[in-house]
Amino acid sequence: MSDLHALELQMADANRIDDLVDREALGEVCRSFFELFGLPIRLFSAEGSLLADVHQQRSICSYLNGLPEGRAACAQTVGEVRARIPDEGVVVHPCFTGAVYRIVPIMYDGRRLGRFVVGPYLPAELREVPPSLLKVDRGVDPVRAKDYLNEMPRVRTETAEKITAHLSRVLDLILFSGHRAYLTSNMHLASVRSNFRELAEKNQRLQNAYDKLKELDRLKSDFLATMSHELRTPLTSIIGYSEMLASGMGGELNEDQQEFVNTIRNKGDHLLELITSLLDMSKFEQGNIVIRREVVDPERLVEDVMRTVAPAAKKKGVSLDQHIAQGLPRLIGDGPRLRQVLQNLTDNALKFTPSGGRVSIDVSAVDMQSGGEESLDDDAGLVLMMAPQRCLQFAVRDTGIGIPRAEHERVFDAFYQVDSSATREHGGTGLGLSIVKRLVEAHHGTVSVESSPGEGTTFFVRLPESEL
Amino acid sequence: MQLDFAARELTIKLVYYGPALSGKTTNLQAIHQLVSSEGRGRLMTLDTRDDRTLFFDLLPLNFVAGSGLTVRLKLFTVPGQVIHNATRRLVLQGADGVAFIADSQRGETKANAAAFVNLKQNLKDNGLDPAKIPTVIQFNKRDLPDVRPDEEIDSLAQKGKEPVFKAVATRGGGVIDTFLGLVRVTWDALEREHQLKQKFQIDPEEVMRNLQSRLGIQEERMRGGLSS
Repeated sequence: MSDLHALELQMADANRIDDLVDREALGEVCRSFFELFGLPIRLFSAEGSLLADVHQQRSICSYLNGLPEGRAACAQTVGEVRARIPDEGVVVHPCFTGAVYRIVPIMYDGRRLGRFVVGPYLPAELREVPPSLLKVDRGVDPVRAKDYLNEMPRVRTETAEKITAHLSRVLDLILFSGHRAYLTSNMHLASVRSNFRELAEKNQRLQNAYDKLKELDRLKSDFLATMSHELRTPLTSIIGYSEMLASGMGGELNEDQQEFVNTIRNKGDHLLELITSLLDMSKFEQGNIVIRREVVDPERLVEDVMRTVAPAAKKKGVSLDQHIAQGLPRLIGDGPRLRQVLQNLTDNALKFTPSGGRVSIDVSAVDMQSGGEESLDDDAGLVLMMAPQRCLQFAVRDTGIGIPRAEHERVFDAFYQVDSSATREHGGTGLGLSIVKRLVEAHHGTVSVESSPGEGTTFFVRLPESEL
Repeated sequence: MQLDFAARELTIKLVYYGPALSGKTTNLQAIHQLVSSEGRGRLMTLDTRDDRTLFFDLLPLNFVAGSGLTVRLKLFTVPGQVIHNATRRLVLQGADGVAFIADSQRGETKANAAAFVNLKQNLKDNGLDPAKIPTVIQFNKRDLPDVRPDEEIDSLAQKGKEPVFKAVATRGGGVIDTFLGLVRVTWDALEREHQLKQKFQIDPEEVMRNLQSRLGIQEERMRGGLSS
């Protein structure tokens, strides 16, 4: 908005007719005026530009324009009318033909915004052909001049005053309505701009706060990474030396001593796992995790995991089961990381399955809809957005305590645990599933859960078939 | 204030501010009715269907001061509803004087204070100094039950720095007093800042007399208010 506009809005001023009314509509008003009264009308802005012009060439004018001196006189009169600015009310400007022009200022809010000119018309009072007409050109034929003059509209002065006063009032009303609409739209615009500016400032403040929080989060991750690393170093010594003690390198141990040392070593291993999880987590948060791409054999993966958990399962009285379907799609990914995924899920399943229960891993091929979560919100362009994709699915089932429906989404949040009392009973950091989710997503796959309390839980890991 | 030396024209912006439904528009309507049609333009109201002011009301009053200077007074109201703050701030831009219309009812005391705080903030946001902007205060709706008593208002008014008026805008009482009071404090401030007397040979007293006569404000009408 220019300064002038800003100032106009500030004072709610109106300085130009063009701003307030539609030019075409103004033309229509003038046309209707002409049709009603038969009087020519022209409307000028304050700067003198012609905004509307409705007239009909009169015979007398055409006749005089055909004569050289008549044309000059005519042009002079028209020039005078155009140049005449009515400062103090209505001006009546005479033509040498005896006709007149009424020049009326268009006033609005105490200012002259322009003028309208009605005419030429003959004052009804005029009876004779004026000498000024007969003398204007040597070629003027008095009879024809009189005939043509009689074709001109005749209006009594009093009537002309009333007609122009009426038009003034109509124009005033039109200008008022236009001014009102003009101010309303400008205020709308200004309000929108002002609101936008406020919102933009607020957004900036929020963005700053967000950046600050992100920085704090990064510092936290750094701290976690450093601490985990620093904790691991002495822990490695603890585990190493207890292993040496257990192996008898420091001399024979009696049964109690052997048991104590083994406990130290087991707890040390457990602590190392926890610290490793924390380190993984902070790596994910920093985006520092690197996923290798190599051909992975799903069957070997499952067998490897089963072998690892077998002793614990046996000790707990939980049976293990596995089923690998035929014709599986090729899997490319990071072998040790995918093993970690399955290991975490199987460890979890075993942890929450009571004695006499069963933990199984099924591997099969399924079709998964691709196209991203957002395209699932509605069916728009479904055929374009989605295409089934071959996937390798690992289903880790247990017959354990199950997870309530409301918790299904949150179990993948870092440090979240369905029931904190479970932590005390079963142990764990609450990081396992969060790490699983991040690792699977790093492989462009998905992880989901199906479960009902008391009936066991199944975690599904789906990894898309590799195109390479 | 807008001063056009060439056209010898002075435009002064006066803003009626206050909480929602305190009677700002009613004040303008009363002025519109009370002054003669010679000096006033149409009252323009930019309202919504529920009759609440959406953007502002505008009443132009023009008169010619002694030395041929045309004085154009533009009276604005702001929307009182809390949500229209952006509009209030816009309307307040370039204001020369403010009439704060308060609702006299006891229950509205807090709303009055909040609107006044809002006024000060919006003045600051527009680069105007709340301590310097000419201001008058009107306690409107004096005819309603359970209003703050005269004695309370009078004693506080004596301590405060703004002229205080009492009004029943629906009947026109006190409205012209408030308006003339506002013009006076505004003109005094403009005089101090721009030396209008020196530049245009206009005496403030003469301006007030001129305004009253040009706008057709008659003595009886002025006294018709409550303050008599």
